[in-house]
Amino acid sequence: MNINFPPIVALLFFPGGAFLLFSGLVFEYIDRKLVARFQNRIGPRWFQPLADVVKLLAKEEIIPTGVMKGLFVALPVVALTAALTSALYVPLFGFKPVFSFQGDLIVTLYLLSMMTLCIGLAGANTEDRFSLIGATRALTQLFSYEAPFLLALLGPAIALRTWNISEINAGAGSGLWFIIAQPIGFVVALVGLMGKLELPPFDAPEAETEIVAGAFTEYSGRGFAIFKIGRDVELVIGLTLVASFYMGGFATPLDFLWKTLLLLLVTAALQSLFARLRIDQTVGMWWRVGVLMVLLQLVVIIVGQQLAPVIQPALQSLFGG
Amino acid sequence: MENLMQGVMEKVKTWARINSPWAIHYNSGSCNGCDIEILATLTPRYDVERFGIKLQGSPRHADVLICTGPVTLQSRDRLVRIYEQMPEPKFVVAVGSCGISGGVFQGCYNVVGDISEVIPVNVYIPGCPPRPEAIIHGVVELLKSLQP
Repeated sequence: MNINFPPIVALLFFPGGAFLLFSGLVFEYIDRKLVARFQNRIGPRWFQPLADVVKLLAKEEIIPTGVMKGLFVALPVVALTAALTSALYVPLFGFKPVFSFQGDLIVTLYLLSMMTLCIGLAGANTEDRFSLIGATRALTQLFSYEAPFLLALLGPAIALRTWNISEINAGAGSGLWFIIAQPIGFVVALVGLMGKLELPPFDAPEAETEIVAGAFTEYSGRGFAIFKIGRDVELVIGLTLVASFYMGGFATPLDFLWKTLLLLLVTAALQSLFARLRIDQTVGMWWRVGVLMVLLQLVVIIVGQQLAPVIQPALQSLFGG
Repeated sequence: MENLMQGVMEKVKTWARINSPWAIHYNSGSCNGCDIEILATLTPRYDVERFGIKLQGSPRHADVLICTGPVTLQSRDRLVRIYEQMPEPKFVVAVGSCGISGGVFQGCYNVVGDISEVIPVNVYIPGCPPRPEAIIHGVVELLKSLQP
């Protein structure tokens, strides 16, 4: 669907801004409900994430001693801003991205990483030892999943010879879906997204049984609420990216809904299947398995692209095409 | 007009508070019986996420301090510190007979007394130990008392 919204509407209400915030909360609810059902529970009510956020916003915000005040207050806002900004370059709800240019894939991926960097800084900013360990783990995890996630999203980009998200979205639906053409890339991208969002089994940075709440330990009220919303927004955008690249792209809101919700179902199942990995296991898994597999995939794609003009005439002459 | 806006804001805040009580659990010197019952309350069988109740690791995120046992001399300072680390508005639920009166530990050389001698308590849940149903009932009573 190619509706051009006036920029101010696109930024503040739809598809960015307020609507994105609410869809983030809805996606969080669906995620929690699915995990609860997988664990044979009834799960939260439909307004639970909204009530959580409103309550946190209405609570007192404690600024602990020993922090840099400006940084402490600004970090959650920066994280949310980066997540919302990245929404402008992805085909949310099947609508054309508000802005798009050659190479916006890289810009979007960097904007999505801002969240983790902010979490790292937020943890390092406080004097609390739990926050510091959480920050170290968050940044270590960033170094482990970032490269494979980027390489996994590069697969479709290289195959379609474009670095523009909306062109990849349009091109992904025309041929064989990339989930079948590049299955390794799909798995790595989906698991990489879970690492990015610090969902179980990659929740070592905020493991509440070991380090209280990780980098968020000292955050209360407003700051914590904004970080929470930012993560929900990132969940929506990450699912959008993976679904549009690997599941044939989407042109209508209905397409968007069933593809992203299917991905959410898979991630919820993975969340409830696996136990938390130690941070060294996470790093080991990504660099020993993830990166190698994606690199193999990339080599196959590039070699295939180089050989295609040579092989195709040969095949045609062989089989009389 | 301004009064109306404030009234609506207050209503929204109370609604959110009632529907999303995040808890933190502290043992100030109990025999562990009540703590086991609290953990049983949090299992999928009772599924308190239905009411929005979530156990938090950090006191900074919690609204309700669920506290068990008599307060020993050792844990008094820690209990007060955890209470002070929680942001307003905050509530305290004392679970078990010892939290109400000191129970069998009353008068011990190393016990300060019951929880209300150290921090203000909103709801008491009697029992030695109280069943998970009783603990859920206590939290629900606390939430009811928030309603104007």
